Amino acid sequence: MAAAIFSIMIVLLLLGFPMMVPLIAGALVGFVTLFGGLGQLETMIQQMMAGIRPASLIAVPMFIFAADIMTRGQSAGRLIDMVMAFVGHLKGGLAISTAAACTMFGAVSGSTQATVVAIGGPLRPRMQKAGYGDSFILALIVNASDIAFLIPPSIGMIIYGVVSNTSIAELFIAGIGPGLLILVLFAVYSWAYAVRNGVPTEPRASWGERLRAVRAALWPLGFPVIIIGGIYGGIFSPTEAAAACVLYALILETLVFREMGLRDIYRTAKSTGLITGVVFILVAAGAAFSWVISFAQIPQAILSGAGIDQMGQIGVLFAISIAFFIGCMFVDPIVVILILVPIFAPVVADVGLDPVLVGTLITLQVAIGSATPPFGCDIFTAIAVFKRPYMEVIRGTPPFILILLGVSVALIFFPQIALFFRDLAFPGEAG
Amino acid sequence: MSSDQSLRAQVSPAQGPTQAQSQTDTTAADDPDEVAYVSSLPGVLGTIDAAIARAESALLAAGVLLMALNTVANVVGRYLFQSSLFFTEELNRILIVVITFAGISYAARQGRHIRMSAIYDALPPRARKILMIAIALITAALMFGLCWFAVAYLLTQAGRGRVLPALQIPVWTTLVIVPIGLFMTGMQYLLTAVKNAISRDVYLSTVVLEGYDDEETEV
Amino acid sequence: DTWRYAFEEALDEVQGIYAQKFKEEIEANTDHEIQLFPYGTLGESADIMEQAQDGILQFVDQSPGFTGSLIPEAQVFFVPYLLPQEPETLASFFKNSKAINEMFPKLYADQGLELLTMFPEGEVAITTKEPFKTPEDLDEVKVRTMTNPLLVESYKAFGATPTPLPWGEVYGALQTNIIQGQENPMFFIESTKMYEVTDYVTRIGHNNFTTAVMANKDFFEDLSDEDRQAIRDAADAAFAHIIDYQKGLTEASVEKIKEAKPSMTFTTLSEEERQPFKDAAGEVEAKFLEMTGDSGKEILDQMKEDLKTAEDATQS
Ligand code: NA
Ligand code: NA
Repeated sequence: MAAAIFSIMIVLLLLGFPMMVPLIAGALVGFVTLFGGLGQLETMIQQMMAGIRPASLIAVPMFIFAADIMTRGQSAGRLIDMVMAFVGHLKGGLAISTAAACTMFGAVSGSTQATVVAIGGPLRPRMQKAGYGDSFILALIVNASDIAFLIPPSIGMIIYGVVSNTSIAELFIAGIGPGLLILVLFAVYSWAYAVRNGVPTEPRASWGERLRAVRAALWPLGFPVIIIGGIYGGIFSPTEAAAACVLYALILETLVFREMGLRDIYRTAKSTGLITGVVFILVAAGAAFSWVISFAQIPQAILSGAGIDQMGQIGVLFAISIAFFIGCMFVDPIVVILILVPIFAPVVADVGLDPVLVGTLITLQVAIGSATPPFGCDIFTAIAVFKRPYMEVIRGTPPFILILLGVSVALIFFPQIALFFRDLAFPGEAG
Repeated sequence: MSSDQSLRAQVSPAQGPTQAQSQTDTTAADDPDEVAYVSSLPGVLGTIDAAIARAESALLAAGVLLMALNTVANVVGRYLFQSSLFFTEELNRILIVVITFAGISYAARQGRHIRMSAIYDALPPRARKILMIAIALITAALMFGLCWFAVAYLLTQAGRGRVLPALQIPVWTTLVIVPIGLFMTGMQYLLTAVKNAISRDVYLSTVVLEGYDDEETEV
Repeated sequence: DTWRYAFEEALDEVQGIYAQKFKEEIEANTDHEIQLFPYGTLGESADIMEQAQDGILQFVDQSPGFTGSLIPEAQVFFVPYLLPQEPETLASFFKNSKAINEMFPKLYADQGLELLTMFPEGEVAITTKEPFKTPEDLDEVKVRTMTNPLLVESYKAFGATPTPLPWGEVYGALQTNIIQGQENPMFFIESTKMYEVTDYVTRIGHNNFTTAVMANKDFFEDLSDEDRQAIRDAADAAFAHIIDYQKGLTEASVEKIKEAKPSMTFTTLSEEERQPFKDAAGEVEAKFLEMTGDSGKEILDQMKEDLKTAEDATQS
């Protein structure tokens, strides 16, 4: 059944159907096969509803809304001008700043989709102006946003921690090493890209200019304060910080900068709703599809034939990486974690692997999967928000995916990338 | 019914909105809704269709604004009055359903649903047209099918009488938008098929010609 | 046949242990096979419940607290200090209670479900960032609760600020101090690492988390007599197993937590210290009656009577 479903989905996808059709059709074929007819399709509706139910998803429309207000108004421009005053003269400076901003924002907001919008939205036009190719920009935004999976708070790690009975605090710390390593490698690639493609630099800004840029950005600097200070200061949950940003953005652009009127707000809210609908129907359809995969116990069937219990530590780590990578190409990451972690748990224990290392590796694979075609939430978000064709959004991804896969392999052979900081913070656990 | 020529004009970038441009030039989400929706249905049906389009956009905007307000109010309640709004989470869940299902129909009108068109784009116009009609018809059929089962799901919910724990309102009432949104989306794709069948050009939706606007070509 | 059984916890948590025993018994005594679906693999609690009602799942474990949106009377399990605290009394209560064994099955049947068993999952403890002994100590302490009116009412009555929050956000919210407390059975506090982000565990004895296993009614009634009996026997065997399994489970969880975090402080309030919390329970009872009317009152009265019977039976 699995092979038939995947084939149908790929064909529909390639023919140019709206992306929701392959996902819905995949789920539909699954339901009809499983239950021998149309009798249980209400459950498909139920699972579509379940897909858009998680409260953390609320952060996505909220950050889309806030970012759109900021970008239509002056806030985003002023913030970016400030960053440019400091890094504009460096080769690849803007790209590296974008990657860093995506990582930071994703880390705090906990939502990679929100990051694509909130950081990518304002920075993409500026990067285009600076001379970067659009495919590079889109790939950079999507992939850098996914580093956020690894940096706390990470919902993927929380789920893994609960399912596998592993310390979430240790997982959080273990994610930082690989997360930073990826950021550094992305920065190196961005620099190389800028050099090779001759992306021009701006003249170095004087300290006077920099001071002026900071002063101009004083109001908009409230956004990082709300997000970082608000969340780490215990005032907001990430979702609430998103809503607070909406409010702050509205106040800034209507009252302080007087850039927007009621009509603009209405249009922006409507456009946010449209983008949300476009992305969330895919989340919904994806959830119904995930349910079929889970109910039919397809992963169990595939993995039981793979002989994972015959492998050594390295073999198991590779098997886990491959399983999660492939799983996340098609199915929602959270569901993949919920299904696959218990399947691998016995063999992980048998070969004596550190569950924190396994959790970090899994989180990394989940991050890669979300940015990898054909199905990926962050790809969908980028398409919806930037209105660019699917192929253009994914064209620039291969170098980034290669870097990410390289880091996975490095993590398998050098677990210290993840465990060094963990052992530093939790000395008792070493070994 | 509008002529093809006027529809073409509506989507041309030159006719774009005259909104204040920010310092960051064109924005990511710069008026995705810039295509004025003109119903391709005749007479009263067209009027109704246009009214529904307006209702959808109003729902979208109201849903997003209400969500922001609701979430912030909960924070204010928690800090200033030591009392969380017990219904915030449930209301947001209702709103996200409203936004999603009003959104898919609105997105169908605007031809904004995500698709991978690599192979499609490589085909000659006539093949593209035939394929587009097939895509629109199959998508419409799928949407109507889902609508049917959404109604069935709603009726089952109503029969079981499940209520939201905090708001204590029946769950089914919060899902009414689901079959409506699916039906309207199906209608849009059906109309798109018709539009393609009777026009010379190839349309993504009843008012949007195929092809991405080229204002943002690769540098 | 292959029967499917979904529950709300991981495989190695209490509901999972029960399910595994049930599966073992069925597979040993019939030709049927059972597939287990732990937390989240087929959706949330409400989803798997509906799937069981639809007959997609043959068995489902859902806690009455979640069933409250379908069967309001099931919320009686959130009325504080209604369930006995002594393990033996508790087991006897669940085994013999008229409310549980005669009244609830009818309510579940109305929803197309055959109630097989209800069992306790462990005393609910409260983890917080600061110690507390009185309702006054809980003033301005934000305690996470499920989105359930009676639970919200309970924590209001206990003097705290009840803060409904989705489960996925609880760990992060405790870490960043958006909330300062949450409640759960000890094994769950251990397995979900709640102790990593709180410092005090306090047992005020207000509740014992209860859960229920049911079968799809049409499925159950269409079975042969032998199969029906095999299912009843498996449910009984799993009940005995889970009561046994839970002996010392709380203590074992406490040990695990202490090992992982030696600074964790455990406090059990004395009867005297519990009194103000018990006094507050009246408000919650009133709220329950207001929500459920006569049928709620009938169940509540019967539960109180059953409680007395269980106490008399086990404390003599
Ligand atoms: Na994160
Ligand atoms: Na993917």
